[in-house]
Amino acid sequence: MNQKTKKIAAGLLGGLMAVSLAACGGGNASPGGSTAAGGSGSSSSSSGGSGTTIELAISKSSQDSAFVQQDLLDGFEKETGIKVNLQLLPAEQTATVLQTKLAVDETPDIVQYNLASATTDLNLERNFEILDDQPWVSRLENKEVLSAYGHVYSFHVSQDTGMQGVVYNKDIFEELGLSVPTDFEEFLAVCEKIKAAGITPVFMPYKDNWAANVWPAAAFADYADKNDPTLFEEINSGKKKWADVPAFADILQQQYEVYEKGYTNGDVLSDSYDMAVGKFLGKEVAMMFMGDWLIQNVAENDPEMKLGLFPIPYTADAKLGASPLGGQLFIPKKAKHLEEAKKFLDYVARKDVAQGIVDKQKYVSIFSDVTTPELPEYKQEIVDNYITPKKTILTVDAHMLVDRSELYRLLQDQFAGGIDAEGVLTAWDEKFAQLMKDKEIAGF
Amino acid sequence: MKISRKLYSYYLILPALLIYCVFFVVPALTGLYYSFTDWRLDRVGIKFIGWANFERIFTDKTLLLAIKNTLIFAVATVIGKNLIGLALAIALNMRLKTRNILRAVFYSPSILSVLVISIVFTPMLRSEGTINRIFESAGLGFLSQSWLTDPQIVIWTVAAVSVWQHAGFQMAIYLAGLQSIPKDYYEAATIDGAGAWRSFRSITLPLLLPALNINLMLTLIGGLKVFSEVFVLTGGGPGNASQVVGTIILRSFGEGSWGLGTAVNTLLFAAVTIIAIPLLIFMRRKEVSE
Repeated sequence: MNQKTKKIAAGLLGGLMAVSLAACGGGNASPGGSTAAGGSGSSSSSSGGSGTTIELAISKSSQDSAFVQQDLLDGFEKETGIKVNLQLLPAEQTATVLQTKLAVDETPDIVQYNLASATTDLNLERNFEILDDQPWVSRLENKEVLSAYGHVYSFHVSQDTGMQGVVYNKDIFEELGLSVPTDFEEFLAVCEKIKAAGITPVFMPYKDNWAANVWPAAAFADYADKNDPTLFEEINSGKKKWADVPAFADILQQQYEVYEKGYTNGDVLSDSYDMAVGKFLGKEVAMMFMGDWLIQNVAENDPEMKLGLFPIPYTADAKLGASPLGGQLFIPKKAKHLEEAKKFLDYVARKDVAQGIVDKQKYVSIFSDVTTPELPEYKQEIVDNYITPKKTILTVDAHMLVDRSELYRLLQDQFAGGIDAEGVLTAWDEKFAQLMKDKEIAGF
Repeated sequence: MKISRKLYSYYLILPALLIYCVFFVVPALTGLYYSFTDWRLDRVGIKFIGWANFERIFTDKTLLLAIKNTLIFAVATVIGKNLIGLALAIALNMRLKTRNILRAVFYSPSILSVLVISIVFTPMLRSEGTINRIFESAGLGFLSQSWLTDPQIVIWTVAAVSVWQHAGFQMAIYLAGLQSIPKDYYEAATIDGAGAWRSFRSITLPLLLPALNINLMLTLIGGLKVFSEVFVLTGGGPGNASQVVGTIILRSFGEGSWGLGTAVNTLLFAAVTIIAIPLLIFMRRKEVSE
C-alpha cells in the first residue's frame, strides 16, 4: 500500500514539475518576456554602446559579403567600441534558422538577407524596423531597391541588382565566328556549331534545382511585360493560373529542348552549380543560363577570361533579366541592441567608408555623394547595352509572394523525365494556391 | 526483501523521470497539440483547426509519395540489412584465417558518417560513374542506370547504399547471437544425421531469434525514420521523386508550415509505434529458451 502511494506520488510529482517547466518555457517565449540576458543595460544608455557586442546573422554562402570584411568590422569597433559578432548560418537552412530565431525572440541585431525573399520568407512588416528616418536615406539615389510596402526596410551601398541571362565565353564565340543569338532558332544554330567544335554548348547544373529557374524567371517576366502587363497581379490574386498562359509552357519546353537536342552536359541532374566556374575556366563549356555574378567569380580566378551576358533568347528582342537586389542588411524590431545596430549602418553609409567598399567591390554606388568606380568590361557593357537604354526587366522572383522551392523541384522533375512542361505548371498551380491560401492572400 | 526496500527508495527514480518528462513527454505532448493547429511562420496567433493538417497529408500527392517511399525504403532495408547481415555473420562465424580482418572490414562502413558515404557514392553513382563503367567493361552495359537521377529507381539506390552501410552492424549482433549457441547442440544434431540446412533451421534460427528480433526492430524503426541518407544523397530529388517523411518534415518547416510539419511528425511517431510494438510482441512470443 505504502509502496503504491509512493509510486503514484512520484509519478504525480514528476508530471507536475514537467508541466511547471513547460509553463515557464511558454512564459519566456511571449513578447513581454525578459530580455535581460546579455543586455547589460547598453540598449537603454544613449551615450551608447562602448563595450557591447552586436550580432550579425548571415548565410554561410554570403560570408564574403562586403559588410562582414574584417577590416570594416575592426574599423567600426575602433571608432565606437562596439564589437560585431558574426553568426554564420548554414546555407540551405538560412531561412529556416532565421524564421525560428525571429519566432522565439532570439533575434540577431542585424540580418543580411535578400529584400524580395525577406518579404516572402521572413514577414518583413512584422519583424523588421522601418529605416525611413535614418540619416543616410536622404543620400540614396535609388530608394526603390531598398524598399518594400512604400518604406525603406533595408540597407546597401550598391544599387546594382545583378543581371540574369546567358553567360557566354566571348573567345569561343569569336574563334567559331559566332554572333550573339537574338532568338531561339538562332540560339539552337549557335549551339549546333559549338557542339560541332567539340565543346559543350550549355552547362546545366540542375542538381541545384534553382539553377533551372534562370531561363523561365527572365523569360516569363519579359513575356508578361510585352504581352500582358497585369499578368502577375492577376496570378497573385487568383484570377489567373500559371497553366493558363500557353507561352509559359512553351518557354519551359524550349529550355528542355536545349537539353533534349544534346546541347548540354550529359548528366544535368548530377552536376552542381559549384562546378560552373571550373567548367568555364577549362573552356569545357561555352554558355550557361545564369547571373552576371558568375562572370565575376570566373574573373576572380582568371582575369584574362572574357565572358559576357546576353538576354534569354526565348524570342526576338528579349530584355535582360534583373534580379531583385540581394544581400541587404536589415534590423529586426526586437534586436537587443537596436541603437548600436543603427550606428553600424551609419558607419558603413559614411561617405569615406562607403566609398572604400564601392571601390573595392566595383559596385554601382547607391549614394549620390559616393562615386561609382570604373567598372569591369562586362559590367560596363551591361550598363551601356541594357541598363542605360532600359532594356532590363525584373525577373518573376520579384513578383512572387511565396516560397518558390517547390517550383524549382518541379523544374528539376521535368529534366528527370517525371513531368512535361504543362505538368510543371499544373503542379505548381496546385502548390502555389496552397501556399497563397496558407498566407491568407485574397482570392485563394 | 525488507532490507532492499530500505536501501532503494522509489524517490531515486525522480531525477531520471524528470529528465524523461522534460525532454520527451512534454515535447511529444506539445507536438501532438501543435499538429492540430495552423501554427505558421507568418501568423501571430495559433488556431486549433482539428484534423485539417492530417486531411492535407492524405490528399497531397507529394506527401503520399513520401509515405510510399518511406515504406519502400523501410521494407527494402529491413530485408537487405538482415539477410546480408545474417549471411555475413554465418560466414564469418566459420573458422577462416582472415575472419577477424573480414569482420572489421564489413563492420567499418557503419562507423562512417553518412556525409562521407554520400561524398564517396555520389560520383560513383553518376551516369558516367564508376559503377556504370564497371558494368560496361564487364559487358553488362544494359545494367547501367541513372542511379540517383531516375525517379523510378532513386529510392531503391538510396536503400541499397543504406544496406551497404549498415549490414555490417547487423552482422555484429547476429555474430554475438551465434556465439552464444552451445556447440554441443550441433554435435548432437550431426550424430543424429542432420544436414547443414536442417541444423540451421532447427537449431540456429530458433536460438538466434532474440538477435533477429532486435535487428528487425532496429532496422524497421531506422527505416521508417529515414532522413539523413536521402537528404545527403538526393535532397529528396530529382523533383520530389525520393522525398520521404523525414525530408517532408524539413520541407514543411522550411516553408514555414510548422503546424503541418508537426502533424507529419506526429503521424510518423504513431506509425512507428503502431507497426513496431505489435511486431515486437509477436516476435517475443516466438522466442524459445535453451
